[in-house]
Amino acid sequence: MLNAAQSFTSVRLATDSASGSVDKSVQVKLVLLGEAAVGKSSVVLRFVSNEFQANKEPTIGAAFLTQKCRLEDRVLRYEIWDTAGQERFHSLAPMYYRNAQAAVVVYDITKASSLEKAKSWVKELQRQANPNIVIALAGNKLDLVQPSVSSPGAASTSESEDEADDATATPGETPGALGEPASLRQVPREEAQAYATEAGLLFFETSAKTGEGIVDIFTEIAKKIPIEHILAATRGTGRPGAAGSRADGARQEGGVNLEENAAKSRDACNC
Amino acid sequence: MSTISTALRNFKEPTKEQLTQIFFSLPSAGLLDGLEKTDGQYVEKMDINAVLSLGVQGLEESYAGKLHLIAPYLAFASLDRKSVRFTIPLSTIRRVERLNARAGIYALSLSTWHGMKIIVQLTSLRPTADHFCSLLRDALKIELQRGQMKLVKGFTKTCYSEALVSETSTVADNEREDGSLISEEKEHAAPRESTYHGGLGLRFKFPGDPKKLREASKIKLWTTYLREHGRNLTLLRYPQCTRLVQVGLPNRLRGEMWEVLSGSMYLRFSNPGYYEDLLKKNIGRTSTSTEDIEKDLHRSLPEYAGYQSEEGIAALRRVLQAYSFKNPELGYCQAMNILAAAILIYMSEEQAFWLLEVLCDRLLPGYYAPSMHGTLLDQRVFESLVQRCLPIIHDHFQVVDVQLSVASLPWFLSLYINSMPMIFAFRIVDCFFCMGPKVLFQVGLAILKINGEKLLQIQDDGGFLNLMRDYFASLGDSAHPNSTDPRARAITRFQELLLVSFREFSVITDDMILSERRRFRNEIIHSIESFSKRSAVRNLKTLGRFTKDQAGFIYDALYKAMCVVPPPAPVNPPPILLTANDGAEDKPETRIGLKTFQYFLSEIATWARNEKIVMNGFQQRVDREVAEHEFIDRLFFFWDTSCRGALSFQDLVSGLDGVMFNDLMENIEWFFNLHDKNKDGFLTKDEVLTLSESFLFIFRYEVGDAYLGAVSRFMTNAFEYGDALLPQAEEGTENKSETGAEPPSPRVIESNQPYLNLATFRMVVLADEVLESFFETDLSASFRLEPVPDAEIPASANGLLGDLWSTIATDSNKKMFHMFTDEIGKTIGKHQVIHRPSIGRYTKLEEPKARESLLTPSMRKSPSKASLTGSGSASASTATLAPSSSSTLTVDVKGASAKASPQIPASASLSPMVQAVNARLMERTPFAIDDAKDDEDETDDELEGNDNDDQVMDEVDAFLEAHDSGLTDADKEVANDLIHAEPLK
Repeated sequence: MLNAAQSFTSVRLATDSASGSVDKSVQVKLVLLGEAAVGKSSVVLRFVSNEFQANKEPTIGAAFLTQKCRLEDRVLRYEIWDTAGQERFHSLAPMYYRNAQAAVVVYDITKASSLEKAKSWVKELQRQANPNIVIALAGNKLDLVQPSVSSPGAASTSESEDEADDATATPGETPGALGEPASLRQVPREEAQAYATEAGLLFFETSAKTGEGIVDIFTEIAKKIPIEHILAATRGTGRPGAAGSRADGARQEGGVNLEENAAKSRDACNC
Repeated sequence: MSTISTALRNFKEPTKEQLTQIFFSLPSAGLLDGLEKTDGQYVEKMDINAVLSLGVQGLEESYAGKLHLIAPYLAFASLDRKSVRFTIPLSTIRRVERLNARAGIYALSLSTWHGMKIIVQLTSLRPTADHFCSLLRDALKIELQRGQMKLVKGFTKTCYSEALVSETSTVADNEREDGSLISEEKEHAAPRESTYHGGLGLRFKFPGDPKKLREASKIKLWTTYLREHGRNLTLLRYPQCTRLVQVGLPNRLRGEMWEVLSGSMYLRFSNPGYYEDLLKKNIGRTSTSTEDIEKDLHRSLPEYAGYQSEEGIAALRRVLQAYSFKNPELGYCQAMNILAAAILIYMSEEQAFWLLEVLCDRLLPGYYAPSMHGTLLDQRVFESLVQRCLPIIHDHFQVVDVQLSVASLPWFLSLYINSMPMIFAFRIVDCFFCMGPKVLFQVGLAILKINGEKLLQIQDDGGFLNLMRDYFASLGDSAHPNSTDPRARAITRFQELLLVSFREFSVITDDMILSERRRFRNEIIHSIESFSKRSAVRNLKTLGRFTKDQAGFIYDALYKAMCVVPPPAPVNPPPILLTANDGAEDKPETRIGLKTFQYFLSEIATWARNEKIVMNGFQQRVDREVAEHEFIDRLFFFWDTSCRGALSFQDLVSGLDGVMFNDLMENIEWFFNLHDKNKDGFLTKDEVLTLSESFLFIFRYEVGDAYLGAVSRFMTNAFEYGDALLPQAEEGTENKSETGAEPPSPRVIESNQPYLNLATFRMVVLADEVLESFFETDLSASFRLEPVPDAEIPASANGLLGDLWSTIATDSNKKMFHMFTDEIGKTIGKHQVIHRPSIGRYTKLEEPKARESLLTPSMRKSPSKASLTGSGSASASTATLAPSSSSTLTVDVKGASAKASPQIPASASLSPMVQAVNARLMERTPFAIDDAKDDEDETDDELEGNDNDDQVMDEVDAFLEAHDSGLTDADKEVANDLIHAEPLK
């Protein structure tokens, strides 16, 4: 695993030793947003503990979970903020997405309105959040619909075998007409994909229930995150990984769009 | 989708009377449904100095304090407002005796239905005491008549405490078995105890180990206390009561004590059957709230056995739904599920429903409201308290940019139930109900203080949360594990937490919380409002050609309009119409009605308001009022593209976008379409008239005659062209009439017959320089987006100072001041009122000449020549169309058109109609009668009110005398000045 990108590693190792950290992991703050009941918490649960069940932890404000993720030689430690989806918690969201380096905006492919909400979240993030934030759009509940013809397309190739399994499993669960489960789908994959491309988002269709596409989200985000940036910021503050994210975010915010950030931070303070 | 709420502006600080009610946990007036039946029978409130003692000698000391009669309740608080208090429904009092007055002592003995005697010695002057007694007598009489007295016994049967005191031995025996042998206990209990309300805990066990919790001894202590100090409705809260609450309520009594301490029991008592009725009335109803509730049912304390069964889930569903039906505005907010689930372990659904009501309404005000302003406010208050009490921690959080609310928000929102192990959280809840909302703050501060050293090590939000999580998980551990003293070792971290909370942070009082809330309220409201403004602008489907700032101005104007003219609340259709099939009620989107729209438009369009420039020698100001005209109504429906009878923010933005960026041709088309009701590309004859009225409305305050002449010419030309084109249209009619009704004469046209098409309209408009320039620039420019000064929006009063200020600076006071200065101005002859024109292009009184080249000589009839030369009677009459009378003018036109339009031959109808209009205008023009020269005068001095007339007339007369030679440059200058007059600010 390590030998693959040895040349990069040396740089980072130097970084780590400079900051005096034994732990090579890079901390990434990630926030989950989306309409209520699209499965945000389930996505996190699948990723963090690889299980699917009725939510054990009710989301008040936001639930906080962590999970390490290995990508080539890098170890990312995701700090995941799973926010409450109910509309009235919206005004609290800035408190959670401030300084976030990544966001997963989840919608429900069987509910068209949830994509609209997702779009509005994306808009808000692009305007109010850390300007370098990596945003992924995830259409969840893929298990509820017939796997569409195009589904293996953009998903990561490593997962394609699993998908094939799912493809056979899902129709088995919902016997009868092939067209019927497909009619549950309200958001065509192509539509969401087109939107994601236009808005510059990573895009996935996922099923927290079957696990399909979940890990891919976090892997792809990890690839896209400017880790050097984070590490540099960490070194700058002279503190190990833990504080990197914050300093990074603060620095970037200071540089761009001061006015909006000022407004935002005030919001956040009042939360 | 956006909802815009002005609710936060309507906040009012509670009055002193309300604070007293809140202190005694009394239901607010609106909730006393039972009381309304006694309309007319109202006993005034009164309080009196008194000394309270119990009938049993030597049991408790006496306490001096105040006795309050707040019918139908009697309440007492000791002087420190802490040690002793009670709130007792009058209906539980069976006997009031005046004790033998010895040496001037005036004492009453009150006996409750269960025989407890309360002795109150009234220490006020005798007449006051007499008055109090007579009021008390009246109030008691009313209660007797209402039949409340009879209800008491039945009601107390629903209370566990009654079972406890009446059959102490057996119940206490059961208690010892509680938890270990539930089924056996149930067999014993069922026949005897079935009447009292209880929670899921009776079936699914209460959380925690009853032995460790020392349930049995707690029950014993409480039994003794309740027997001597009253219980449920008649509980007297002596210091012992608070102490017992602080060591933790016994599980079986907990629900009832929460009810009593919070005061929700009074609601349940005075609204019997309400909960069941509410559920019955709304059966099958669905809403966004019920949808949200469904999603959370299985996420509410899922580790508790009761919520792994359908029984528990169903109870939770009913309670939450019932509350959302009762208070649809609040509906359901996540975290309420946790609260409801928690209290349902200890109380019945009905009890839980009323307790939820008290929680949302009084104890946690605004916490769960759609804006969650209460939550945000209390987080701000908490932050400020941390800054004050724990400055080092606060500073460290600032340095590492950690947000306190990340952890503390759920503490407050779910009363720590979601954060701590349940058994500990419930003890905090015990204290919360007993001692009030300050407990949440005290505990929060204590948590931070105890973890102070570790908190100074954390570097980010995540670290903060993890630290808190670990701390909460260790609450059951010993606080001093290494101590040699076994008694110190036995102290748990939770006990330590309570100790720190109530010892070190006893400085935090309810009054302090209240004043801190007052301090930060405006800040919070402002930030919520600016947040919702930003998201409303962001969520627009299209901004059109507006910038975000401009859209923000539109939002501001809309917001101000909604503050001044609140749109009617969305009416919920009756539940019968809402079957399950109907699906959810639409997601709310704020829409405004016509009234609000009129105000909104008056903020933006210059012609949609009447502005009077008033000068009285002291000040110059602009009095603005909303104009009402059919044209504005027309615009409202024109913009209501989805035909909802109400406009959303998006509709307004799109509507304005459709006119504000137009060029000449687009504007002409826009104006045409606005008046083409059936959108067939033709205006009917009536519509041409309406359109002319719209012109006159927009031009009503313009200086000079230019616009009136233009409109007059427009009408003449439009009808001439229309008639000229008619033969072709006639053919169409004839073809139609073969099957339909035959028109009596070929020259008669139906009122709804297509008459004027866009091309013709355009030609007629372009024939006139005035109208052309109006459409080229002035129409679009008459819409102005400007920042709305925040001060103009009615704000909530901010504390005492705010109250004072607002009483000084109210609108009515401003009006009084204005009236006063006006009066002085009038007496010294300096009072002047001018209408500010909406467009103000022509400041000179000359009128541009009509474009002759476009018109055939036959069409260039006299009206178009109307100009300064003022020759010929017809032109004179047109020229005297004074702007001052235009508001009445439109009515006249209407009258004329109504008479003229339907069956009169077109050619014939034209000139009489125009003449009629002109004739009426002439009658209305004061100067036209006096002096022929006046047609050249600037008659824009609107005569406001009869009392002003004379003076203004005098002034004008004097003016005319001085400038007898007619219109001079100086006159023009004066007119010019008036037009550009700005209000003095």
